[in-house]
Amino acid sequence: MELALQQALNGALLSVFYAVMAIGFTLIFGVMGIVNLAHGELYMVGAYVVWLTYAQGILPFPLAVLAGAGIVAGIGIGMERALFRPMRGNVLMGAILSVGMIFILQVFVATTWHVGLMKNIPPAIKGSVEMFGAIAPWQRLVVIPSAVALIGGLWWFLRRTKQGQALRAVAQDPEAATLQGISIDRVGIIAMAIAAALAGVAGGLMAPIMRVDPYMGHTALIMALMVTIVGGLGSIEGALVASFIYGFLVAFVTGYFPKEIASPATMAIIIGALLMFIMLAVRPRGILGRGT
Amino acid sequence: MKRKDLRKLIIVVSLVTALAVVVPLMSGCLGAPAAAPPEAPPEVAPPVEAPPEVAPPEAPPEAPKTITAKIGFLAPLTGPVAGWGLPGLYGDYIWVEHFNAEGGITLSDGTQVLAEMVPYDNEYITEKALTGAKKLVLEDEVVLVQMLGGATAAAAVPFMTDQMMISTTLLPSDLTPSTLYHLAPIEVCPFYNVTGVEWLALNKPELKTFAQVAQDDELGRPGMAAMNASAEAAGLEVVYWELFDPETTDFAPIVSKMIASGADILSWGISYPDYVNLLTFEAYNQGYEGQLHSCTLDFYDAVIEKTSVEFMEGFIWQFPDFDDPAMQEPLNPYRLIEPAVFWDDYQAAYPGTWSAVSWEYQAQLDEWMMAVKAADSIDPMKVFAAWKHPKENNIYHAFGEGTWWGKPFWGIDNAFMAPWPVVEMQNGKAVIVEFRDQLDWWERNKETMVQWNMDLGEMWWQRMGIDIESGIKMWGLEEEFGYLLEE
Repeated sequence: MELALQQALNGALLSVFYAVMAIGFTLIFGVMGIVNLAHGELYMVGAYVVWLTYAQGILPFPLAVLAGAGIVAGIGIGMERALFRPMRGNVLMGAILSVGMIFILQVFVATTWHVGLMKNIPPAIKGSVEMFGAIAPWQRLVVIPSAVALIGGLWWFLRRTKQGQALRAVAQDPEAATLQGISIDRVGIIAMAIAAALAGVAGGLMAPIMRVDPYMGHTALIMALMVTIVGGLGSIEGALVASFIYGFLVAFVTGYFPKEIASPATMAIIIGALLMFIMLAVRPRGILGRGT
Repeated sequence: MKRKDLRKLIIVVSLVTALAVVVPLMSGCLGAPAAAPPEAPPEVAPPVEAPPEVAPPEAPPEAPKTITAKIGFLAPLTGPVAGWGLPGLYGDYIWVEHFNAEGGITLSDGTQVLAEMVPYDNEYITEKALTGAKKLVLEDEVVLVQMLGGATAAAAVPFMTDQMMISTTLLPSDLTPSTLYHLAPIEVCPFYNVTGVEWLALNKPELKTFAQVAQDDELGRPGMAAMNASAEAAGLEVVYWELFDPETTDFAPIVSKMIASGADILSWGISYPDYVNLLTFEAYNQGYEGQLHSCTLDFYDAVIEKTSVEFMEGFIWQFPDFDDPAMQEPLNPYRLIEPAVFWDDYQAAYPGTWSAVSWEYQAQLDEWMMAVKAADSIDPMKVFAAWKHPKENNIYHAFGEGTWWGKPFWGIDNAFMAPWPVVEMQNGKAVIVEFRDQLDWWERNKETMVQWNMDLGEMWWQRMGIDIESGIKMWGLEEEFGYLLEE
């Protein structure tokens, strides 16, 4: 029972991390029709900003995470302007360009700060607390209110602000939005900035917990991709639901899959991928995606 | 698509592709070591010959010859296993600096031998290891190849054996009867791990149960077998063990399972340095208050920073700091650099990078140096022959007198065994608590060790992919392993 509660808590904490990553990924696709495969590298840059600022004693942890969000948002804006805007709507070309961006970011980070030993980032808050019979580390718990605030803020932005409504309009029908006088270019910049910032925040929050190196993004991208597809490309609500499915899936498969058959952590990824393939075959639009 | 748009598209794609190709090439994406090596020794001066028509009254004395012994370093300098490669290269650089500063070795014919390190980053990738071995042996003409071992040794050693090149490893689990010139002259991982587990059982009798995890690879599996065998032999119940995916990024679910097993001892086995950091952090996060154990605890200051001095108190592992008082004893009377001096030089040149391997590769060079002196040559096979006769040639292990051993376990006597230290964290510092005899342990517990290794497929015939009977017959190992056929 104790293990079940602990894994449930582990799953909950993983879920919010997946949610922050996947929502950013799906936002870009929904608004711009671009599959940004460099989303994992944006997450990696966020982690490195925290290492450079917080771990070196320059900024306190919250400001370091915000700095990461800002820098990564800037990179995102640059990507939108230089790479994605000309390819808007062209999924294949957008993906190809984003692959190039993967290499650029990885090599830049690896060359500048070397590869080899992981970047050690002390936790912002040490210790843990008992919750419902399980032990929750404060550093992981911090992710929950941060993610809730981000997602809540995003919801408010999309529903209650003019720019947010413009984003939703473009996501629904870009031509009609243009006819209404909405600037697709400006909306693209805003969407990319938000999505990149979300990835940067995820990287910053998880930096003290994960192994920080130039290649840490690919695992995060794989999970974001699976969550987004299962939730429905372009659907933020779908990404939220799917992230919780995957968070608990990974935690419980890792916790209970018989190790005599196969590595539980590997099986968690395989089962997650199978779930994605089944969804693509049975309901391609995902749990809450738009029908096309 | 309009022509203008198509042109724009082509320009953009070309630009991105060019960047993606050129930037890695320019940046040298293999990742160079952080520090520059010492200056290369001077070129050999050509002998001066008199013109034939002039006969000097007396032949001038020949200028003393200087040659450079190039030492290959074929190990991961980047990637998740770099913690067991790059710090070792740093240690080698310090050794070479001292060696050359003291004039190297002078052979009986007056030839001065200086040394130079030639590193190759194999990123712990088998294909790169083989490429690196070929480059080092055929292009760079090294006289010795130092390796970490594991999967990369399996890829590179057959080639080096064919070339009659000495290679060294930190993992005698590489050894098989066919690895003729592949030596484990210092570290005998995972064998020495039996000492730490047994020490725990003897000195902390209240601990009754043992749990271990490690990544599922050529480093983790042998360690799993050795430490579980040691736990069982010491009367500890192995209540949980798991080989996790090397791509694991989140260790919380794994540590949760270990804690739920109720084990008195949580062991990280031979997990990569970064994983030991993250596993320990997770144990701290999940409120674990029991005994921790691991093969290595690299960069432990960083782990203490993430946890606390109190949490880390009593952690047991197998690698000392070289400023430890126990290391200042004349364990190897022929070592080039005194341990405290090496420690100080290392901390000054490469602060914050001391790991389990920082001293190991250079300790291999201490032995190589004595073998060269005994062989009066840098020729690999002559050096190899001298190296295999330590008593006659004053070749000591870093921890004292050593014995070449291994036939009863690996099928070949290519592991240099000496007592190994058990290290305990005391008030934030690594302290040697005892040196324990590995061969004594073997004599008492060999069946348990062999059984655990067989269960995990880690005995030499299993690693070679042959059946035990064929292997025994092929290499005449009936005396050592015949008993297994009778069972």
